[in-house]
Amino acid sequence: MGKGVNRMMRGTTAVVGIGETPFHKRGTSGEPALKLALRAIVAAAEDAGIAPSEIDGFVSYGSERNDGQRMMSALGTEELRFGALVWTHGGGIPGALGLAATAIVTGQAEVVAVYRAMSESGGRRLRVDVAQDDTAAQQLVNGLDGPAQMCALRTMRLIEAEGVPARTLREMALVSYHHAKRNPRAIGRDAALDERIYDESRWISEPYRLFDCSRESDAGVAVIMVSAERAKDLRQRPAYLLGAPMGAVKGWGVLEENHDPYWSAGFRGVADRLWRETGYGPGDVDVAQIYENMTGMGVSALIEHRFCDPATAGDFITFDNLTAPDGGLPINTSGGNLAEGFIHGMSLVSEAVRQIRGTSPNQVPGASLSLMTGGPGDPVVSTALLGDASTV
Amino acid sequence: MEYSFRAHRIAGGIGADDRFWESLEEGVFRLPRCAGCDRWMWPAHFRCGGCGSWEQRWEPVEPVGSVYSWTRSWYVFDRTAERAEDVPYVVVVAEIPAAGGARVVGVLDGPDEGVRVGAPLRGRIDAPSAKSKGYAAVRWSLAGE
Repeated sequence: MGKGVNRMMRGTTAVVGIGETPFHKRGTSGEPALKLALRAIVAAAEDAGIAPSEIDGFVSYGSERNDGQRMMSALGTEELRFGALVWTHGGGIPGALGLAATAIVTGQAEVVAVYRAMSESGGRRLRVDVAQDDTAAQQLVNGLDGPAQMCALRTMRLIEAEGVPARTLREMALVSYHHAKRNPRAIGRDAALDERIYDESRWISEPYRLFDCSRESDAGVAVIMVSAERAKDLRQRPAYLLGAPMGAVKGWGVLEENHDPYWSAGFRGVADRLWRETGYGPGDVDVAQIYENMTGMGVSALIEHRFCDPATAGDFITFDNLTAPDGGLPINTSGGNLAEGFIHGMSLVSEAVRQIRGTSPNQVPGASLSLMTGGPGDPVVSTALLGDASTV
Repeated sequence: MEYSFRAHRIAGGIGADDRFWESLEEGVFRLPRCAGCDRWMWPAHFRCGGCGSWEQRWEPVEPVGSVYSWTRSWYVFDRTAERAEDVPYVVVVAEIPAAGGARVVGVLDGPDEGVRVGAPLRGRIDAPSAKSKGYAAVRWSLAGE
């Protein structure tokens, strides 16, 4: 293995259980987020063949408020030994896997649930909840509220200053909706999106149209992680965590629209660390779940993971190249945040694991290296590579 | 002086830009420089990461720049619903060369057909209003070639 490979993290833990509630359009589940979180965690434990009471670590990210201490009496938890939230929003998901792995390899916990549950039933509009009241006056005073607008500004720069074709946004949307058709869980499976419907759909915030935006949903999604040693004896084919760096480099962070480069999704530095720490590169990846709060941010994430650059993005980001099973890099094979449902990106983790198991609704034949990139544009982001036993 | 924004404070950002909002209410567009090493430090922060100084100097700047990026919003968002009657409206990120390339957000006023990255902008200051959540704000216009 090359210099810089992180031997403490690489392949030393695995995802051994996944659990999801059905996805509901926001506000329609009729159940509070805490109950959805419990359902997802119990389902993930059963999938792994581990008693829910054995879970001793709880890790999430963003505005998750269903902490372990609130669930332990319902899970029959013997002892809660580790619990934490990873900063800040959806950028923290792969980092949550990394933190769970850190807890396991340092002996602080043995069975860790990483999860996210959201329900608008009992709360505010999900996107307001997700924003955690950390939107700056510079933005709110000047008519900027939602991620759709903040991300739109970055993508407009990507298009007008970097020359990335606006068409790449439509390709990203078409890929996700195409994959959703084969996923019975996907909320957008019947949308029948095509180029004309996309082009005629209403603007939300230019350059984004309706179909460029994710679908806020009520649901819970959880995965169970254990050591690689223990994973060998469990029910499911392990998806080994090969690396999950988080971070931000100079020119990024909380900068109130002064980021550099502005079109970035924040993965400069983090993506290169992923390749260095795992010993793999973009050309090795079989399938990728690219967190797309908005299509254009997924385009930036692909560029920053070095699958293409601004000059070649138009050639790389095409429907044919990104579609399973035959594309060069199939992405968002469950329909992703756009067409399956937006559980703050967490459902991309379970889909990344299904690709390793061979159980995706849009399976990439023989997939052994599965990438999951975290929420793009977040002031601090993370990215993860999962693999089967042959990749460790 | 009683500043309007203090009664409507939005707590979400870094929060070191009170002097920016005070200045706008005084009718002056000011941006901060580090008192130690003189670099423009925007968004405002409490300490200069370059030289370690905790002091800033707020300098008047002419509100002239160009479009760094822009978006036209066609949707009434939850927390900016005060602007519902203005939808669609354009928000620009204005790059200010005279302040080391600092970028300041603002709503675009007047004809917006020519809005594109690089288009020249000139700003003026609006008094606090409900649309700007009780804050004074810089409103930008395309300056023409």
